[in-house]
Formats: sequence, structure tokens, C-alpha cells
Amino acid sequence: MNCDEVEDLLGAYALEALPGDLWADVSAHLATCSKHAEAGELRAVASALAFAAPEAQPSAALKTRLMDAVRAESSPPAAVPKRIGILGPLRQLASRRAIPYALAGALAVALIALVLTNLDGGDSTRPGRATVSLSGENSAGAVVYELEDGIIVLDAAGLKPLDAAHTYQLWSIASGKPSSLGLLGTAPNGEALAVVRVNINDIDSLAVTMEPAGGSIAPTTDPVLKGEA
Amino acid sequence: MEVLYERLGRQAFGLAYRILGDGPSAEDVVQEVLLTVWRQSDRIDVARGRLNSFVMTLVHHKAIDALRVKRGQQARQVSVDFADVEKVGTDFSERVLQTIAGGDVREALTKLPEEQRRPIEMAYYEGLTHLEIATALDLPLGTVKSRLRLGLEKMRVALRSGSGDELRRS
Repeated sequence: MNCDEVEDLLGAYALEALPGDLWADVSAHLATCSKHAEAGELRAVASALAFAAPEAQPSAALKTRLMDAVRAESSPPAAVPKRIGILGPLRQLASRRAIPYALAGALAVALIALVLTNLDGGDSTRPGRATVSLSGENSAGAVVYELEDGIIVLDAAGLKPLDAAHTYQLWSIASGKPSSLGLLGTAPNGEALAVVRVNINDIDSLAVTMEPAGGSIAPTTDPVLKGEA
Repeated sequence: MEVLYERLGRQAFGLAYRILGDGPSAEDVVQEVLLTVWRQSDRIDVARGRLNSFVMTLVHHKAIDALRVKRGQQARQVSVDFADVEKVGTDFSERVLQTIAGGDVREALTKLPEEQRRPIEMAYYEGLTHLEIATALDLPLGTVKSRLRLGLEKMRVALRSGSGDELRRS
């Protein structure tokens, strides 16, 4: 591309109104040619158009989402594991085993390829939920759904009820290192539902272990549930 | 983040809304951009005017990409990087970015003749290429190219005198 061709395209270039390859050609020419002093100024004027759009008030929810994200990212790992929130209405739905479908329908959640399987070797043939093992006295299982980026829902069942001195604890494992995602409360019928902030792309697997009440800094028993992310 | 949001939230949302025309999509863009900037805020140490301009450039790019995807077109391959915030060119562009006031730019744009203003708006707010603008307006490509440039040059003259006034006043 020569100088005349570049000059001819300078306005469209400044406004980025060129197909990618043509824009890159002009950009490459400008990087090595000092004859187009105006290019930088036209780019600045084009950039200034961003300020010509009238200001507008976003919904209050935007600020809430931003501040929530900031809090989630800036809070240091808790020395004492936090209890995972189990939401009341969701819990009721979970007890009917309908929650994953309700979530999937209402929120268009993507089912991620993460299934916690029963290490005791449970039955994985439940109709309609082939990825889950739930039935049988010793059979525990869970499905994990990605609710949105960075938030997962764990829907577990078949967990043996524990005495007051013990609790279930959920872990993420990355590069062999476990990090607590919090304590997992269970209903008397062995079901548990947890909504957890974790980026599924950053971890290798999830596990649930039985720990002393109050939880542990690192797992002290073999997992009762484990699955690859 | 609160400072960033209070300073730029309305302006950023205004731009994204102008481009996308729907609130939820515009908020998604603003959220993504402000979080990106917040996450990397330790990497940047620039004057406020330049940071504002950079944030708005990111909003523009993200919103146009979203718009093009919505229209079933490819997102553009024009990249913007954090390194760009350090690279501000001439004295003029420095002054424009430091002293820019939305009203000045709006006035400079609205004072353009329709035949120059419209192609600029189609390029900047609608993400159309010069060829797409020529097709939409049924004009020869060469005419569109020259109108885009002429319009920007007129705005430059208007803003140059505007920012000069601003500098003299301060």
C-alpha cells in the first residue's frame, strides 16, 4: 500500500470503518511512514465521538452486579470455611428434584460437563438424568450446573446424614491443590444444594469430603464425591 | 470500582445504549469493560482524561462487536489493548483527550452538513465499513471515503478551537 492509497483511506481508517485486513494494512503503513501526520489527529477526533453520545442512567442492578463481582474477586480466602448458601426456595425445589430443569428452563443455564460420581459405585441409569447416580442406600451423586460465568450450582443427593460433630465440605482442586468452597449442609433426606462462586475453567476437579464440624483447612478424609471439571 | 462507576457509568452506558439500542445488552457491555479495567487497574497509571478516553474506546469496541454479532456479521478485527492507553499521539490529541467535553463533540458533529455527519455516524455508532455505508446510501465508495475524512477534519478544526478556548480559560 502506498502513501496515496493510505491518504485516500485515512478518514475511514480513523473511524475504523474498514474491513480488518485493510485496516491492518493502513495501520502497518502508518507505523513505518512519517508522511501522514494527520492520521493521529483524525483518530483522536474519531475517538472523541464516544463522548458525543448523551449520557444515560443504567439500572441500579448494574452497579449491584459490579460491586458484587468486585467483592467476590477481592475477598481473600477465608481461614475458616464459609458455609455455602442454600437458598430457601431453591431448597424446596431441590427436594422435588426439579431444580436443575427449572434453572435450565428459566435461566437458560448450560449444563457443563461435570458430574460428581459416587465413589462407592452408584447406579447411573436414572431415567432422564443419565449423568447422575442417585439410587441405593450407599449411592450418592451430584450434578453441577454453571449458572453463569463464575457461579455454579451443585445439586447432590444420597449423602449419608452426619452427626453434629461432622460436616460435609466442598473443595475445588487445581494443580493438585485443594481449596475449600465451603461447608455443605444436607437435608435429612441426604439432599444438598449449593450455589458457589468458582470459575470452572480454573479448576481441575471438585470433591466433597466428610470433615469435623466447622470444616478443615485441607481435606482430612477421602472424598465421598469427586468429579473432573 | 465505585469511583470508576460514578465517573464513567452514565457516559459509558449512554454510548453503549446509543450503539445497541437496548438496555440489558448495553449494561452487559459496560459491566464487562468496567470489570476489565478494574482488574487491570494496577497495570495502568495514566492521567484521568486518557483513562476516560480509553474506557470509552473499549465500550465502543465491545458494543460495536456485539452489534455486528447481533446483525450476523463478523466482529471487526480492530484490536485495542491496554498498551494503547499509553500511546497517545500528538499534542493535539493529548489536549483533546484531556479537555474533552461531550457537549463540544456533539456540537461539532451536529454542525456538520448531513452528507458528512450521516456517514460518520454510520461508521462510528453503527459499525459499518466504508463499503457498507456506500451501499446503504447508494453513493460511490470514493464519495464516502472523502466525506468521512472531510467531516472529521471539520470536527478537528472545531474541537481545536474549542479546546484552545478551554486552555485559555483555565
